[in-house]
Amino acid sequence: MPISRRALAAAAICVVLPLSACGSGGDGGGSTDASGKIEGDITFQTWNLRANFKPYFEGLIADFEKKYPGTDVKWIDQPAEGYADKISADAAGGTLPDVVNVSPDLVAPLAKAGLALDLDKAASQYKKEYLEGAWASHRIPGTAGTYAFPWYLNTGPLFYNKSLFSKAGLDPDQPPKTYDEVFAAALKMAKETDGKVATLANVPTIEDFGRYGVELMNKEGTAFSFNDAKGVELLTKYKELYDAKALDPQALTATPESSGKKFLTGAVAMNPGSALDLGNFKKQAPNLYKNIGITDQITSTGHVNMYVMGVMVNAQTKRAPAAVAFAHYVTDAEHQMSFAKQVAIFPSTAGSLDDPYFTKEDGTDETRVRIAAAKSLKNAVNYTPVLFSEQMKTELRNEVAKALQGKESPKQALDNAVEACDRLLQQQG
Amino acid sequence: MASSAVARALRVRRQLPTSPWLFAAPGLLITGAFILYPFVSTLANAFTDRRTLIPGRFVGLANFHELLNDDMFWIGLRNSTLYVVGVVPALVVLPLLLALLVQKNIPGITFFRSAFYTPVVASIVVVGLIWVWLLDERGLVNSLLETIGVGRVGFLSDQWLLLLSAMTVTVWKGLGYYMIIYLAALANVPRELHEAAAVDGAGAIRRFLTVTVPAVRSTMVLVGALSSVAAFKVFSEVYLMAGPSGGPAGEDTTLVMLVQRTGTGLTGRVGYASAISVVVFVVTVALMLLVLRADRRDES
Repeated sequence: MPISRRALAAAAICVVLPLSACGSGGDGGGSTDASGKIEGDITFQTWNLRANFKPYFEGLIADFEKKYPGTDVKWIDQPAEGYADKISADAAGGTLPDVVNVSPDLVAPLAKAGLALDLDKAASQYKKEYLEGAWASHRIPGTAGTYAFPWYLNTGPLFYNKSLFSKAGLDPDQPPKTYDEVFAAALKMAKETDGKVATLANVPTIEDFGRYGVELMNKEGTAFSFNDAKGVELLTKYKELYDAKALDPQALTATPESSGKKFLTGAVAMNPGSALDLGNFKKQAPNLYKNIGITDQITSTGHVNMYVMGVMVNAQTKRAPAAVAFAHYVTDAEHQMSFAKQVAIFPSTAGSLDDPYFTKEDGTDETRVRIAAAKSLKNAVNYTPVLFSEQMKTELRNEVAKALQGKESPKQALDNAVEACDRLLQQQG
Repeated sequence: MASSAVARALRVRRQLPTSPWLFAAPGLLITGAFILYPFVSTLANAFTDRRTLIPGRFVGLANFHELLNDDMFWIGLRNSTLYVVGVVPALVVLPLLLALLVQKNIPGITFFRSAFYTPVVASIVVVGLIWVWLLDERGLVNSLLETIGVGRVGFLSDQWLLLLSAMTVTVWKGLGYYMIIYLAALANVPRELHEAAAVDGAGAIRRFLTVTVPAVRSTMVLVGALSSVAAFKVFSEVYLMAGPSGGPAGEDTTLVMLVQRTGTGLTGRVGYASAISVVVFVVTVALMLLVLRADRRDES
């Protein structure tokens, strides 16, 4: 019996229709009620943590399941590369895990699409357990609510190469403490080495503008404002550095990884880092480690920059009580403290940073960096606005590059960057 | 006997209309799900303002109007076009010369054939990282240039040198692949033609131009078509060497990089990225038609 065209068309529709259902959601969030019995199967997604911390998370999950019989936590770990893309594919396909490891910039679009549970409503009883600034880091301008439990924090000092400082006639025991001192040291380094050693390897990012004291957004969070006089001043100074080769010529295309490598090989004299990097220097560049200098992060505001990790609960989870309980369990003071002892990160829970582990010297560099970082974290700020998307970062980076190459004035470049970022902000809705 | 043969023939005839569809079904399903549906979906999205997490509204030609005023789109179009212009002639000619070099069956030639083919099977990420290391401001190439007094060259910091470096990697990586295609074509060139030309007094270059090139002409067209489409859609080499931002101030961005940058992530502009994809599709088809048409005109 021949297949009729109608039958074929019907078959084609049968194939295509289910596929066309794979569109994006965004029809508003689910319930914010997390009361009820803690039970059921939930999924928990982390961000590149299995390779190094498998036993820790397996133990954590086993303890939770023991504490709450009837729960079953399935742990998924995703690689660092393409993490945002994985989340967006899951969010669009309706397969977002119940509990997700996120950063504030990832939470913002998910919250706006109604996919992140408002913890001010669903878990307000836990709010007092966390540092005020850390809890606020997952608030989104233009929306009411907080959309993730704060998890670990990180910040770090500025590392410098004492040997390169000495060769350039700079005092290796008196590292620069202010922006003006950094710029002066960088120009001297470039002059003394005939442009062969740069001091900085990265163009200024949004957090650099923030640390320099530039107002990044208006108070309502509806428009960017980093093209003010202070912003132009910072970019003008970077232009001087670039012209003098005090800023690495490859800075325009550098990534944090590539600039880290340049610091390891002695091609640049200063680089921001964290306590994690010390072990790396010891293993990969023993000569550098012998000459490593550590100084405080440079800031004009009195507040250093911090990075915040969070744990979000999917607003559409069918197991809200278990998901909220588990997200809180992962981020409570006891477990954050225990995780901090596994790796050089800092808890976001109130009072944890006063633990002797973060206050008592033992003479090692690692402890010195840890104590200094913990102290600075108490009033640190996450300068990167949560609404500052990857596309906006690229716009800013490209305009900064044009200013450094002399294709545009610093003012024009920042005006263009603000205009482009505002347009993207409007399009985000 | 005769009646059973008739019955079998009838059964076969009865099965004929459905059987081909059943055999083709897996392939059709895969093509439908992974090629046709995404294609139609991209085409439909190009006329919407869809974002990753927000369903779009129909916006007509707004995305295409925006493209015309988007500097980055023109930069992408320029770079993708330059890539075709720079890479295709090299990939049409150099693999042919390489194939002629390794065509002869002399001892040890298999090693060279394999060596020339190795870059094809190597991971583009690994290859890209090795080239970045070689061309870095303090890499091997710059160290050698400094030793001979040329001084450091900004292969990875100058927008044009960066594009040229990426093209070099593409050509280097593609040589072996097209060499194999040419080797197959050269094996079909009758030896008598070369012998007759030699008897008539033609030298090696003349034999190459009057015998080899006409004999592999259709293969050259095929290589030209394949490499031009691949070059226009270049992504990995430029992404790895110029970085995610597309080189200094994004000046090395190609169209496919722009699609990736615009359309991915939680705030991705799927509608706008789809419009760029449609342009890439149209240009790619146009390139194919251009090459085939040029071939047909030459033949006539």
